[in-house]
Amino acid sequence: MSEEVRGLVERYMPEFPVRRCGRVFTDTTQFMDIGHGDVIALGGLHYLVLKDESERRFGMEDPKYWVKRCRELETGERKILKLVFYERFPLRVGEFEVQCYRSPKKESRILDLVADDPRFMHGATRLDDHDNPVRILDIVQGREIGKYVYALKAGHEAYFREHFPAVLDGFLDACEAIGALHAQGEKHGDIRRDHLFVEYGTGQYRWIDFDYTFDFHENPYGLDIFGLGNILIYCAGKQVWNMGNLGEGGFPAETLNGLGPGDHSLVIRNRVVNLRKLFPYIPAELNNVFMHFSQQTEVFYDTVEEFLDELRPCRGLLG
Amino acid sequence: MDFKKVLIAVDGSENSLRAVRYAAAILGGGTGYAVRLVHIERLPERDMFPDESAWSGQCREHSRAMREFLDEAGRVLEAGGLSGGTVCSQYVDSCAARPEGAGDCSHGRNIALEILSIAEREDCGTLVIGRRGVSKAEEFLFGSVSNKLIHHAKDRTVWVVS
Repeated sequence: MSEEVRGLVERYMPEFPVRRCGRVFTDTTQFMDIGHGDVIALGGLHYLVLKDESERRFGMEDPKYWVKRCRELETGERKILKLVFYERFPLRVGEFEVQCYRSPKKESRILDLVADDPRFMHGATRLDDHDNPVRILDIVQGREIGKYVYALKAGHEAYFREHFPAVLDGFLDACEAIGALHAQGEKHGDIRRDHLFVEYGTGQYRWIDFDYTFDFHENPYGLDIFGLGNILIYCAGKQVWNMGNLGEGGFPAETLNGLGPGDHSLVIRNRVVNLRKLFPYIPAELNNVFMHFSQQTEVFYDTVEEFLDELRPCRGLLG
Repeated sequence: MDFKKVLIAVDGSENSLRAVRYAAAILGGGTGYAVRLVHIERLPERDMFPDESAWSGQCREHSRAMREFLDEAGRVLEAGGLSGGTVCSQYVDSCAARPEGAGDCSHGRNIALEILSIAEREDCGTLVIGRRGVSKAEEFLFGSVSNKLIHHAKDRTVWVVS
């Protein structure tokens, strides 16, 4: 390690053991070789790598070796560096498999587009010595929407009456952000509960992670709209209600017996979307929005604007 | 609107070739028909390629294959009895692969509406398209050109060939 970097580490992270300091990387192509204690030098700044990011999915830790949690040594700020990883993989959507591609340039383009928009994560792209576009991301300090909603301490009816209106306000704002992306010909690509954060302090809803892309032509924004529907239905139900957990909800037998295939999601077939059958105080107009995602729907939302046109008026029906 | 002006929309698939064969069988024996074969270019998503040259190589390959398909479809129609002079082909380039300021091109965001706008411009009263046979869930996620055509085509006859 160079004296310069050693000096920076000692200055900004005196608690970091200097003996753990590793190599300095200016070419990030071999991202698997970059680990804890290494430094990535980009655009005159230095990023001390603390660890690889990971996702917890289906109870398993899923490391993302190309995403590094770092400390920018010159400022002391925490950053996430996304290194270039051209990956093509099948994404499971209900019973379908969708060919998905991880595109650094798409994410860079959107980062530039939303640089002044608080509804998205922020960051900048810097080229390394091998011309890899590395995305340097500010960390969104907040909580995933799913965890945020689930953790609100209230039974469903109290939650729905007291908390859900504010959640819906934030969600509407988040939907408008996606509509603005679409209007500029871009899609988020990976809309799900753990990619929408409620920021601590401000309560601002912010989208993260938009590097997925797909080769859809006739309905380029269909997956984004599907994702928005899933989040909305989760938030209204305070959790996912499916065949596996309905028994824990304390619903009367006639309610459970009254659920048919048409009450379930069109794409994720064991998931209940007709929440009004479980929670009769949910307004019919709001439930009608959910039903556009059900097996019985004959009409789909083609655009976020169409979805919002029916969802916005529902806000007035809540407290 | 002239119902004898027939627009056949093709995408290079077996389903669209089936639609061409069907149209040849129905129209071939008649007189006064004018058939327009239309392909709206659907280039692969640019972001799915690590660099511009990989993407443009794939685009060229796509374009070559689709122009061959249009030629093949034209031959099918002629073999069915439509004379060469009554069949024309139209390849609508994607705007993504065109220089700024180029003429008519496809943004590829709603292929059904682009087909309809050509039908309007060319006064085609009959539209022919192959059906992929997608489920409702697939249509919801990925869209369906034939269903959108059915929903949006006003005052026109639509043949959806399964």
